[in-house]
Amino acid sequence: MTTLATPPQETNEPERPELITPAQPRIGRWILFGAMLGVAVVMLYPFWVMIVTSLHSEQQFLSGGGFSWLSWSNLSATIPVGQEVLSSTIVCSTSIFVILCVGLPAGFAFSKLRFRTSTTVFLVIVSAMMVPLQAILMPEFVNVTKLGLTGGYFGAILVYAALGTPFSTFLFTTYFRGVPDELIEAGIVDGLGYVGVLGRLIVPVAVPAIATVTVLQFIQIWDDLLVGLLFIQNTNERPITVGLAVLAAGRTTSIPELMAGSLVSALPAMLVYLGFQRYLVKGLTMGIDR
Amino acid sequence: MSVIATRAPRPMRAGRMTLRRRRQFAGFFFALPAIALVIGFIGVPIGQAVYYSFTSWNGLTSQWIGPSTWSQAFHNSNLWTALQNNALLLLSVPFALGLPLLIAVLLHQRVAGWRIFRSIYFMPTAISWVVLGLVAERFFAYQGTLNSIIHAVGFAHTNTNMLGYESTALSALGITFVFTMIGTNTMLFLTGLATLDPTLEEAARIDGAGRWRIFRSITLPHLSRFIQLAFVMTVIALFSALFSLIFVMTGGGPGYATTTMEFLIYQTGFNQGDFGTAALYGIILFVLTGIVGVVQLRLIGSNE
Repeated sequence: MTTLATPPQETNEPERPELITPAQPRIGRWILFGAMLGVAVVMLYPFWVMIVTSLHSEQQFLSGGGFSWLSWSNLSATIPVGQEVLSSTIVCSTSIFVILCVGLPAGFAFSKLRFRTSTTVFLVIVSAMMVPLQAILMPEFVNVTKLGLTGGYFGAILVYAALGTPFSTFLFTTYFRGVPDELIEAGIVDGLGYVGVLGRLIVPVAVPAIATVTVLQFIQIWDDLLVGLLFIQNTNERPITVGLAVLAAGRTTSIPELMAGSLVSALPAMLVYLGFQRYLVKGLTMGIDR
Repeated sequence: MSVIATRAPRPMRAGRMTLRRRRQFAGFFFALPAIALVIGFIGVPIGQAVYYSFTSWNGLTSQWIGPSTWSQAFHNSNLWTALQNNALLLLSVPFALGLPLLIAVLLHQRVAGWRIFRSIYFMPTAISWVVLGLVAERFFAYQGTLNSIIHAVGFAHTNTNMLGYESTALSALGITFVFTMIGTNTMLFLTGLATLDPTLEEAARIDGAGRWRIFRSITLPHLSRFIQLAFVMTVIALFSALFSLIFVMTGGGPGYATTTMEFLIYQTGFNQGDFGTAALYGIILFVLTGIVGVVQLRLIGSNE
């Protein structure tokens, strides 16, 4: 309680330093700095728990002391992390590829090549963003199973692609509205044809939007549980998030090892996040801050 | 190049319609995969869910029952418990918005090292809610951080086990939810604050407005659109993204204390094999999020 609830106590301060007159800015700055440090402690707590806990053996964890690399050396025996990270990578990259291949041309079409009813169709696709998978879970599961796609990765990839398409279509449409019509007209006059314009002129200018979609979808899909849990039936093909969740729900795996596995699973998404932070922010606020 | 330039004027007149039609055809062609994917995997299942909500369905065979499935469902106490849990969890939304707002204002003061702080605050956003759920379980556990803190503060004999009791498990889930939303919402508000014109504040200050007055009369109204967006995203997450947390933290228990609508759908379908009722619950969830979705669409619409 206290740790998670520290922000309210400390963040009571922000108004106070603000109220401080220029005559005493130094104290205000220090209070502010202290408050920010406090919030940082809370936000770093998950990493601290994972690191510290994983550096105990199960015995040490239960007795509450000591240090050991045991959970790390035993990790791959308990959790097939290598295989699971590979599965996550395959599912993630293929899904994102499909999402881009489908969303980018659609965004181009809805912004620049408007056809009859395209506004309505666009609105329908965008509103699909609001449909939670759980709402259509049962028919979706039965459909994909009947198509025989739950055996490998294909079912999960298609579901992820379908769930990611509305957002990517929306983002690309918004983005391409800023592209001048003259660019497309010039391409057509030059005899490129619409496919040529898309491939040679539109894709190159879309790189920032592609990056945004990729980063957001990577984190979303890498971190997802439900789709991987239900649409990948073969336990040898489980993504790492699913593997962790299933072990955790089973409550028989040693907690230090679970924490070591959690750290492994968190690492790729963390790296992507730290490397591409600004694209993440851009994607989240798309369509509101312009 | 020149060949095309000389050729272009000729079909222009006769082919104006065809040129336009070609463009429209290309547009439709480019949009088709997205349309197909969304209709096939989202549109069709919505229709199926409505149909199957009137049947008894185990995933293989279904039998038409009719509207009585709905009246029966509304007599099921589990449905009301789940709806009640969802409603109670809504109480966490003010915290999931208020705390990030305060943190964003803190960051916006640009105190030394604020960039590093910003990176740290957003870091949990990248982590799976499965992992955050596991960490939260450690936090609330009998031998977890929460009790250590309580002991350290001086209540050596007070022990909590929030996830273990029906009365407190939902609160623990709500607190975890607030924590998981902090990064995203802070990010949103910080972006909003960055677009605020500093000369406005300066002018107000010269006019003698205090800091609090400036915050209330300038900053907050400026952020209103960002707050609306954050509100919608938070409520949608509350209805459809808690699955991971519940799955690893409580499994919906103790009893049905932390079973929300989305988890009830999963349980009814996959633990009890009652696909028909699960589809019906899905429609209810669909309507609930649809209400929030309409608000969101109006936000997007008003922007264009």
